[in-house]
Amino acid sequence: MAARVLLRCASANLTYTLTRLSCTNMLSPARMLGRSCFKRDLSMTPRFCTALKYTDKHEWVRVEDGIGTVGISNFAQEALGDVVYCSLPDVGAKLSQSDEFGALESVKAASELYSPLTGEVTEVNHALSENPGLVNKSCYKDGWLIKMTVSVPEELDALMDEAAYEKYVRSIED
Amino acid sequence: MSLGKTSVNVVNLGRIAYCNGLKIQEHYVRKHFDSSCQTPNTLLLCNHYPVYTIGIRRAHYPVEEEQRLKQLGADFFRTNRGGLITFHGPGQLVCYPILNLGYFKKSLRWYVCELERTVIKMCSKFGIKASTSPDTGVWVGNNKICAIGIHCSRYVTSHGLALNCNTDLSWFDNIVPCGIMGKGVTSLSQELGRDVTIEEATQVLLEAFSDHFNCTLTTAESSCDQAEQSLN
Repeated sequence: MAARVLLRCASANLTYTLTRLSCTNMLSPARMLGRSCFKRDLSMTPRFCTALKYTDKHEWVRVEDGIGTVGISNFAQEALGDVVYCSLPDVGAKLSQSDEFGALESVKAASELYSPLTGEVTEVNHALSENPGLVNKSCYKDGWLIKMTVSVPEELDALMDEAAYEKYVRSIED
Repeated sequence: MSLGKTSVNVVNLGRIAYCNGLKIQEHYVRKHFDSSCQTPNTLLLCNHYPVYTIGIRRAHYPVEEEQRLKQLGADFFRTNRGGLITFHGPGQLVCYPILNLGYFKKSLRWYVCELERTVIKMCSKFGIKASTSPDTGVWVGNNKICAIGIHCSRYVTSHGLALNCNTDLSWFDNIVPCGIMGKGVTSLSQELGRDVTIEEATQVLLEAFSDHFNCTLTTAESSCDQAEQSLN
């Protein structure tokens, strides 16, 4: 189990795997390995999360085992400022791609969130109700917003990969 | 890439009911998504009949609270803006910039900061030293002179700011303004010890706005009619 886990750590699903492990064994070798990777501020840059796809509205989605995890990008969280409140949908909400599914509040400004895919909400990050700042501190990991089913997998193809998104962000900043 | 300054239309609506203000804002927001509209950026100016409004953090204000405030003679609205509870009423200049941040800078944090700086500059023209604080808004010492609450969708902003000119500040005694305990409210009139009307403040605010947002303000006579039509 430990060897297989160590091999999986090298994959693109590094953060997801380690999150699961941390719940089971605090002193496992995998967790120690994960610690050294996090020195590179993993929570801010999706270096090992090559499976992330992005929308032009700065949401990201990572699909694993048919479930998409959705969050906002580092560019978006910086542009918002400190998030003080997350308004998120209920589990079971059905979303079409680009539907408004909630809002994030920062500096007295409420900013709409748009669904990257068509699907149904399966989980909402309840940690954000007590700690909305996770969206700023860990936008690619602990600050995830919702998980959803992926009704139309082809929609992923039209989203930007990391390289395309970085280019897009640079064009906005110019 | 625009070589000249961005053009923003100013529409002065005068005294209007809050709910009509919401409908008019929606009308101008929609213009931003209408490809036939050449100059969608708009600055709406108005003042409201007494009303308390809240933002998306609705759990703080249950129905009982709504009833209590309505019994005091004000209206009550739950909106989609950021920020907690505030009051709007006669003597308070309300400004709703309906802007596409793509013409300026695509950052809400920048936008709110520029709104604050606009009001601070405007206060300085009156000889009032205003400032920001960790709580969004514009302050004179521990008293808030201008509240800010924004909504943003696809980079198009709505809601905005509310500057106390000669507002009856006792309306604020019924709430904890913006959810901030231990601080008060003030107005241009209170700070200067003389009556400062909305009309006097408006021109000064517009000059500060065009400076900070580096835009050209235009007043279209027909815009008011369009705004009225949007209510029908």
